[in-house]
Amino acid sequence: MDKKKSNRFINFITNPKYLMVLATIGIFLAIYIFGAVVYGNKGFTKLRTFAMLFVDNAYIGISAVGMTMVLITGGIDLSVAAVASLTGMFIAYGTTILNIHPFVCMAFAIVVAIALGLAMGAMVTYLKIPPFVATLTGMFLARGVCSLISRDSISIDNDLIDKLAGWKIYFMKLNDAGEWVKIKPVAYINLNVVMFIVMILIGTYILQKTRFGRNVYAVGGNEQSARLMGLPVDRTKMMVYGFNGLCSALAGIAYSLYVKSGWNLALQGGELDVISAAVIGGVLLSGGVGYMVGTFFGVLLKAVIPALITFNGTLSSWWGKIITGALVLLFVALQQIVMTSSGRKKKGPKKKET
Amino acid sequence: MDRDVILTMRGIEIQFPGVKALDGVDFTLCRGEVHALLGENGAGKSTLIKCLTGVNKMDAGKIELEGKEIRPTDPKNAMDLGISTVFQEINLCDNLSVAENIFIGRQPMKRGQIDWKTINKRSAELLERFHVHIDVTRPLSQYSTAIQQMVSIARAVDVDAKVLILDEPTSSLDSAEVERLFDVMRDLKAQGLGIIFITHFLDQVFEMSDRMTVLRNGRLIGVYNANEITKLELVSNMIGKDLDDIFDLKRAAQKDGAGMMLEADHIGVPGKVENISFSQKKGELLGFAGLLGSGRTETAEMIFGVSRLQDGTIKIDGRTVKINEPMDAIMSKIAFCPEDRKRDGIIGDLTIRENIALALQARRGMMKPMSRKEQDELAEKYIKMLAIATPDAEKKIRELSGGNQQKVILARWMATEPDLLILDEPTRGIDVGAKAEIQRLMLEMCEEGMSIIFISSELDEIIRCSNRIIVMRDGKKAGELNGEGCTQADIMKIIAGEKDGETA
Repeated sequence: MDKKKSNRFINFITNPKYLMVLATIGIFLAIYIFGAVVYGNKGFTKLRTFAMLFVDNAYIGISAVGMTMVLITGGIDLSVAAVASLTGMFIAYGTTILNIHPFVCMAFAIVVAIALGLAMGAMVTYLKIPPFVATLTGMFLARGVCSLISRDSISIDNDLIDKLAGWKIYFMKLNDAGEWVKIKPVAYINLNVVMFIVMILIGTYILQKTRFGRNVYAVGGNEQSARLMGLPVDRTKMMVYGFNGLCSALAGIAYSLYVKSGWNLALQGGELDVISAAVIGGVLLSGGVGYMVGTFFGVLLKAVIPALITFNGTLSSWWGKIITGALVLLFVALQQIVMTSSGRKKKGPKKKET
Repeated sequence: MDRDVILTMRGIEIQFPGVKALDGVDFTLCRGEVHALLGENGAGKSTLIKCLTGVNKMDAGKIELEGKEIRPTDPKNAMDLGISTVFQEINLCDNLSVAENIFIGRQPMKRGQIDWKTINKRSAELLERFHVHIDVTRPLSQYSTAIQQMVSIARAVDVDAKVLILDEPTSSLDSAEVERLFDVMRDLKAQGLGIIFITHFLDQVFEMSDRMTVLRNGRLIGVYNANEITKLELVSNMIGKDLDDIFDLKRAAQKDGAGMMLEADHIGVPGKVENISFSQKKGELLGFAGLLGSGRTETAEMIFGVSRLQDGTIKIDGRTVKINEPMDAIMSKIAFCPEDRKRDGIIGDLTIRENIALALQARRGMMKPMSRKEQDELAEKYIKMLAIATPDAEKKIRELSGGNQQKVILARWMATEPDLLILDEPTRGIDVGAKAEIQRLMLEMCEEGMSIIFISSELDEIIRCSNRIIVMRDGKKAGELNGEGCTQADIMKIIAGEKDGETA
């Protein structure tokens, strides 16, 4: 029994499918432990610091859930940040200027985002436009509509939004008197973090437990084969872009709760943060490989670097970008090595009888 | 053959732009039968299969499966009807696990979730039946082509197939693997499946099939029982000519006092091939025989500068030359058609004209572009000379059949008018007619004074064409034979190491 278990473990470790995810988790832990050792006295190990990684990056994480799926199909979506920004504009303009109920604004934003996602999906699927180009047009469209709504930043003035944004779950502990009190320094998670974690769980379920999710992998692995195996390739691609639209809108909602304003130029370049989080999480840019749990740790890994730099106090914040870039490079290189050594993409020489 | 018929196709017609791909073809398949579908490339085998799997729509005709008329709309629909296909190229997703490849699209569900346990268990059981014992949870990419082939058959069979189509299933398997596949086919046959078997290997056709249907140019030529027809009759039916006509080839005559074209003196790359010496006269066809991996291709690559020579010297035309990269070889008027034309040879999206002009243009250099008129003339000339079957020179090369692609590559190198042409397996995977034609071309070129190095795994064609034959074994030259009077057994003995033949 024991032997069987250890065999299973070895199998798991050496399975190239999981190697990238394990690398991500490993590097995250390494960096975190490094931070703990060097900046432990400044409070790096405090739960607050850890919770803030989530609070400050939840909107990126939510978007990364959809992006992970798009990347697994072998596509890419450059419109996510623009769509999130557009969602923010809908909420800010709708609630504050037009006095519409925030939920109506959010629902409207979600519908628009899904529709735009499906439209881009249709361009990719049926018109065979490369995803890069199709979603680039989507990005410009969304940015354009943002500016059409308002060129200025609108700060949100709405009670319900304030309430949602202010909702927090505090980490508590028992004090000597047997009462629950907030730990010091105060650590909490908010609605955005809950959304992030729920979306990761939903994403994991979809990818691992539904036929649709498996089709996503098949399409990314070999679209031609997937078609010949009788899988609904077109429908899968459409749904993936639609789902990513939903994720972009949810990320937009999270972002507007985070900054409580809408701005047409918000989140410029944010799509690259999302993509790099997924890549650092072990999602293969050429498609077919990736896990939600990897993306989860990718987001955290990307978040912990600026945190470290803040704790250092002397380094310029640009170092964050440089290190992130290096990590992306490392992971892309690592993917290449793992893929080559596991025989994928390498169509071996055809053997033949003599 | 009075067995119950499972599938009938009647009067199938398919019109492609400019050609009638199928013209009134009939086909019947019985339960528990292996039925070979034969014909040259472009005869309409694939089109018939694609019609059956719903990839191509038929313009006329009727398909009946178990007495009911069907009209497959796409591969999935055909699969649901009970017609499963294993294509020549493995059509699986190698990023997914073995088990998942068998079950994707029809995974067993439990409480709305994919039931991975059942998938893995049933896949393992299924593959056991085929005597494949592997860890089904590993990615498909980790397994050999043969295993992958078995997996795709397992998938095809497990969908309750009534008809199984195997399109060139053996072309990437070695002989032990082929045997394993045949065992599986016999099992399936015993279970009452109707199997349509397409292959280029006639031995396998005779070993496995009960009946054969021969197509030529989109028409039905005949249906034969395996025990009532000889190989020769079959081949002449396939190509529509008598065999003697095609194989009436004569070795290129050797001119007395012809100078030396190539002298290789103890050349080698340590670890790959070592200590190879041979010489070749002008106008001589030098055959290279030996097993796969015995160093034939590596030797050719040394001469062409693909891998850099580390020991020994090469003399071309009596002068010692340094060949460090292919460009040096091209400048010395050497040309090389590599083994894997799909990977190293053709550029699929370019037209025939562009593919032919490529090497000549490369030799001229970028500064002297060939005019369109020159290219047109060049393409015209070789299409005619090599009888490349195409409506015009502007067709994309990937739309041609394998034999015609090979001819285009041949044309590309002939256009550079080389003194020495190296052909690595030029007849692999092409049908008998095209094979004979390429052999004829080689011999003609030799007659005109070109020297050719001809690498092939098929001993009969080596013997038929070569003036001299060099036999390779384990990265070394194992022997040298005269083409005249040499038999397959002579070569095989050297390959097997029974004797180190040095016949004069």
